[in-house]
Amino acid sequence: MAASNVLLAPPRRLPAAVLLTVLPAFLLLTGFLLVPLLLLALYSVYSTDPVTGLMRPDFTLDNYLRIVTSSVYRRVFVRTVEIAVVCTLIALLIAYPVGYTLGAIVPRRRQPFLLLLVIVPFWTSYIVRTYGWIGFLQNGGFLDSVLSLLLPGTVQLDLLYSRVAVVIGFVHVFLPLMILPIYAITRSLDRRLLEASADLGAPPWRTFLRVTLPLTWPGVVAGASLYFIAVFGSFVTPQLLGGTGDLMIGNLIADQFGEAFNWPLGAALAVVITLVVLVALGIFFRFADLERLHG
Amino acid sequence: MTMYDVELQNVTKRFGSVVAVDHIDLCVPRGTFLTLLGPSGCGKTTTLRMIGGFEHPDEGTIVIAGQLMGRTPPYRRPTSMVFQNYALFPHLTVAENIAYGLRERRLDRQTIERRVQEMLRLVALEGYGNRYPRQLSGGQQQRVALARSLVIEPAVLLLDEPLGALDLKLRRQMQLELKRIQNQVGITFIYVTHDQEEALTMSDQIAVMNQGRIEQLGPPEELFDRPRTRFVADFLGAANVLTAEVLAADRTSACLALAGGRLVVHEPDLAPGQTVAVVIRPHWLRFARDGDAAVWQGRVTERVYKGATIAYRVELDAVTAVTVEVPTGTGDLLPTVGETVGLAVAPDRVRVVRE
Repeated sequence: MAASNVLLAPPRRLPAAVLLTVLPAFLLLTGFLLVPLLLLALYSVYSTDPVTGLMRPDFTLDNYLRIVTSSVYRRVFVRTVEIAVVCTLIALLIAYPVGYTLGAIVPRRRQPFLLLLVIVPFWTSYIVRTYGWIGFLQNGGFLDSVLSLLLPGTVQLDLLYSRVAVVIGFVHVFLPLMILPIYAITRSLDRRLLEASADLGAPPWRTFLRVTLPLTWPGVVAGASLYFIAVFGSFVTPQLLGGTGDLMIGNLIADQFGEAFNWPLGAALAVVITLVVLVALGIFFRFADLERLHG
Repeated sequence: MTMYDVELQNVTKRFGSVVAVDHIDLCVPRGTFLTLLGPSGCGKTTTLRMIGGFEHPDEGTIVIAGQLMGRTPPYRRPTSMVFQNYALFPHLTVAENIAYGLRERRLDRQTIERRVQEMLRLVALEGYGNRYPRQLSGGQQQRVALARSLVIEPAVLLLDEPLGALDLKLRRQMQLELKRIQNQVGITFIYVTHDQEEALTMSDQIAVMNQGRIEQLGPPEELFDRPRTRFVADFLGAANVLTAEVLAADRTSACLALAGGRLVVHEPDLAPGQTVAVVIRPHWLRFARDGDAAVWQGRVTERVYKGATIAYRVELDAVTAVTVEVPTGTGDLLPTVGETVGLAVAPDRVRVVRE
C-alpha cells in the first residue's frame, strides 16, 4: 500500500539538502527581523508606568489611540509622506537619465567604472555625507560663497535648516538606490526594439514614450519604492539639515525610544509606519505587475 | 519617374579600419525580390541597414523611391525592416504591434482596426490579435513582424535573415509564403541571407557579396549556370573548381587541358599558355557510355546515396578529384566504389571563371 503511494504521489517534501541551504537565511531573518518585529508589536500594546516611566507588560490600545487622535502625529505623518513623495519624484528625474545613460548609451566596457562612481559614495557613512551638506548649504557656506563670487551683491540663500535642505540631502544620499535598478533594466533593454520603433515611423521621443518607458517601468517602480521606503523611515537628514518644522515620523519614533523613553508609544508608531509602507509597497508593485503582465 | 526603387551609387561604409561595404553600385527595379547573398561579414547586413537608415554611408549616395536619402533617419524613410529576431514589442499584443506604425501615422481608430485585420488575414494569423508575442511560435512571430512592416505600405521592404531562427521545414514553408506575399503586395523586397537555397528559391535577382563588394548580380539561373567568379560558383551550390591550362584559343573558343583531359569551351578572349579556373557543377558531369567521348578516366572512391541523386567522388589523377552527381531511378547502370569510369561533360556547360 505504502509502496504504491510512493509511486503515484509526487514527492511532497523537499530534499534535506535544499532545506539546509535556506536554513542560514531562515535563521537570520527569523532571529534578527521577525523576532524584533514581533517584540515591537508586543511593546506597542504595553503601557508605561507613570511614576517610574518604565515599560509595563499590559494589553492596551492607548498608544494607537493617541497616534490616531493626536493632530501632531497626523501632521508629521502627512509631512513625511509629502517629503518622501517630493524626494522620490525629484530623484526620479535625476536617476532615470543617469541610469538610462549608463545602461543604454555608455559602451559596456566603460560601464563598470561609471557604475563604481555611482556606488562609491554609498560606502561613505550616510551621516558623514549628510554633514557634508551642512558646510555646503549653511549661511556663508560653500554655496553662498560661490554665488557671491558669481553675483557680487547680497545673495544669501540661507538654505540650511529648511525643507529645501532636507530634500536636497535626501535626494543625494539615497540616489544610488534608484539609479541601480533603472540601470539594470535599461542594460537589458533590446536596442533592436528601439530601431524597430524608428523604422515604423516613430521619432526618438515617441519611441521613448511607447517603447523605452513601458519596458523600463518595472525598474522605475523598483527603484522608486526602494527609495521611497528609505526616505520614509529616515530621521538623520531632517535632524541635521531640517528646521523644527521639518521633523518626520522617523524623528518621532527615535525620540520615543531615546529622549522620551516611551518605548510602547515608539513601538506603536513603528508598527503604524511599517503597515503604511507595506500597503504603499503593495500599490507600487501592483503598478509594476500590471506592466509585467504585458512584458 | 524613376523605374528603380533603390539606387546605391558608389556606397562605402567603414567601421574603424574595417571596410564593411566597399564602393558598391546597385539598382533595384520596382517590384523586384532582390537577395543580398554572402557569408557573414561580407557587408550584406550593413548594406541593408544603410538602406533602412540605421547606418549612414561614408561615401556614395542612396536614392529610395526617387528621393535622395543622405542622413534621413529611419522614421522618415519609405522603407521598413523585418529584423533578424523579429524585434516584436514584448509589452504589446500582436494587434498593437501591427498597429504601431499606423498609430504613428495618426490614422483613425476604425482604419487602424480594419488594416490590422487585413494584415492578420494576409499572414494567416486571424484570431491571434490579442495574444502577446511570447505566446506565439517562432514562425508566427515572424509573420507578425512581416505584417507590422507591410501594414505601413513601405516602398521597399527590408528583410534581415528573417528565417534564420526557424527550423528547416518551417523555413521552406515560409520561403514560399514570403514569395506569395511579395507577389500579392507587389512591392520591392530586399532580402539578406547566407543561405544559397533560400536565395535561389525566392529571388528575382541575387547579388552575391564578398568582402564588401558585389561579385555578381543577376537572376538565380544565370548565377547558378554562368558564375563569373570562383567565389560565386563556390557559394552558390556545389561546384568542382579545377585549374586548367589554355592550349589553343581563337576568337570564340579555346582548348583547355585539365586533369589530363582535353576540352573545347566556348569562351572568348583566352590566350594560349594562360592558366584559368574552370567550374563544373557535379550534375553537369556524367559517366561516359559507349559512344560517348570520355574526357577523363578516373577511379570512384566514394559513393553517397542522397535519395533523388547519388553523389560520387571520382579521382582523376593524383591531385584532382571531382564530385559527380547523377539522378537515381533512370535505369542506368551506376558504378560502385573502386571501379574505373569514364567521365564526360557537355562543353557548353563548362564555365571559365575569374579567381
